[in-house]
Amino acid sequence: MSSLVLMRILESAPDRYDAGMRVLSLGAVPRLHEQAARLAVHKAGARVLEIGCGTGAVTRLLLERGANVEALDHSPEMLDRARARLGDHWTGRLLLRESTAAEIDALPAASFDAVVASLSLSEMSASERTYVLAAAVRALAPGGRVVIADELRPRLLWQRTVHVVVRLPLALLTWIVTGTTTHAIADLGGELAAAGLRTVEEHRSALGTLAAVAAERER
Amino acid sequence: MTRVTETLRDLLQTLLRMVPWPTEPGLRVIGNPGRESPVVITCNYDLTVRRLTRALRGIDAWLVVAPSRGINVWCAAAGGLLTTSQVVTALKTCGIEGRVQQRRAIAPQLAATGVVASEVARRCGWKIRFGPVYAEDLPRYLRGSSRKDESMRRVRFGWDERAQMAAAWGFPTSVVLGLAFAIAQPAWAIAIVAQTWAMSLACFFVYDRMGRGRWPLMWAAATACSLGAVAAGDGGGAALATAAGSTTLIMAVLTYDFAGGTPIEGGSHFEARQWHITLDPGRCEGVYSCWEVCPEACFAKHEETRKVEIAHASRCVKCGACVVQCPQDALFFTDQDGRRIEPDVIRRYKLNLLGHRFETGETGDSGETTAN
Repeated sequence: MSSLVLMRILESAPDRYDAGMRVLSLGAVPRLHEQAARLAVHKAGARVLEIGCGTGAVTRLLLERGANVEALDHSPEMLDRARARLGDHWTGRLLLRESTAAEIDALPAASFDAVVASLSLSEMSASERTYVLAAAVRALAPGGRVVIADELRPRLLWQRTVHVVVRLPLALLTWIVTGTTTHAIADLGGELAAAGLRTVEEHRSALGTLAAVAAERER
Repeated sequence: MTRVTETLRDLLQTLLRMVPWPTEPGLRVIGNPGRESPVVITCNYDLTVRRLTRALRGIDAWLVVAPSRGINVWCAAAGGLLTTSQVVTALKTCGIEGRVQQRRAIAPQLAATGVVASEVARRCGWKIRFGPVYAEDLPRYLRGSSRKDESMRRVRFGWDERAQMAAAWGFPTSVVLGLAFAIAQPAWAIAIVAQTWAMSLACFFVYDRMGRGRWPLMWAAATACSLGAVAAGDGGGAALATAAGSTTLIMAVLTYDFAGGTPIEGGSHFEARQWHITLDPGRCEGVYSCWEVCPEACFAKHEETRKVEIAHASRCVKCGACVVQCPQDALFFTDQDGRRIEPDVIRRYKLNLLGHRFETGETGDSGETTAN
């Protein structure tokens, strides 16, 4: 959704983040969160690593589906919001930790059934994405999957045209207010393949700009 | 890139300095570096990266560009965009670990308010040293066994920096006002643009040296000049009123965040002025990290007692770099009521501009401990 660019404004005040994201994306972001959680948790007790948990919206959905979750974010403020949202209900099944995505390389190999990144991969530089995807693959247990929910560049020309037209004024506004914008991932499939992953399930929004993708190790 | 395009890019980015200008984070090769060559870290503000690259000409080094959303080192570090996390991410993901044997890197001194050296070491094994404030001093620093004299540690804010900041404020303000007048009153547009530039230059060259009552003083001088110019040009009552109004408006814009536009003043907002750096001498063990990173050289070393002293408290700009780096937590912010903000709060919440530190200070450990 092109209005995702406005998330930059919301990030400057985590208190407003969730409500703002819901309104600006016309409900698309909560749907994306649902899809990500559904793709990541196949059974109760699944061990899920979440990269860039933000205010904990996806984290809660993962927990509600019965997963044991280790959720990371580099921002102490976002983690504060996540703690406030999730409360003490999930003791024993949730570990919230301040960490960058790159530091998942220190986690034990083959220790997670799913690694989830919702709206965080597109925030990274190309070299960081490559590193993080490789580390995510290493962290996956046999049969595990990487789930990416993010802003992607649409595939079809008409979608890309509409995307640019709708996005431009919003991006400009956000850039004026916050001095930055989001960057849709141009070739997620290619990056997943380079990390030794193949896409097994994908859900795209009508405009093709938001997608939840599940990928597993190449056999 | 040719010298002409490089110069044009410098000019454009100086005029639009308020705007982030990101360049791709990652590893840059300077000269012909080897496995023992120095590793230098900076932000991903394009102007900084290019200036640093030019400053390092003739030296073999690795340059690690950390993601700071295209913001310069000082602003990004204070605003939470160039922190331990960004430096850890850059060092781990840019490929430098496979290129060098050592795990030592030099970060710009002005990053010290955001990047916690001990945390970087704990999280990824790299030892961070804070180099000079200015890129141009880096070659001297590297040749001098990584030692900093006071000239390398202090922010200078010399005439060239003042001119750059005047341009950074004057250009966008003059464009907006110039366009507005070009539509409403075309005959005055050029005069308004000239007035904006003149006031911006005056502001950034003398405002910080004017002491108390500087706003009305500066405003009166600027108003007198503009009214005098209008009167000399036989302008009527409407022109005089417009000149007075535009002077006030331009003054308000230029001075609203003057402290934020310079590296030599503390916070311009009321809350920021209430908090002061305080030293607990009992905790100080003479590591001197505060002395190393203070951009105003506020600290003095006492080698015989292995303690520091806040020798020049009036120069403090409250960036918090000393608090962030002190391994003994011997430094913290306090206010006149004895409330204090703990070092960990400063380390965690960089967004002091949005008041997060103060909120936390007031609702956290208010009033329990007094320092000194």
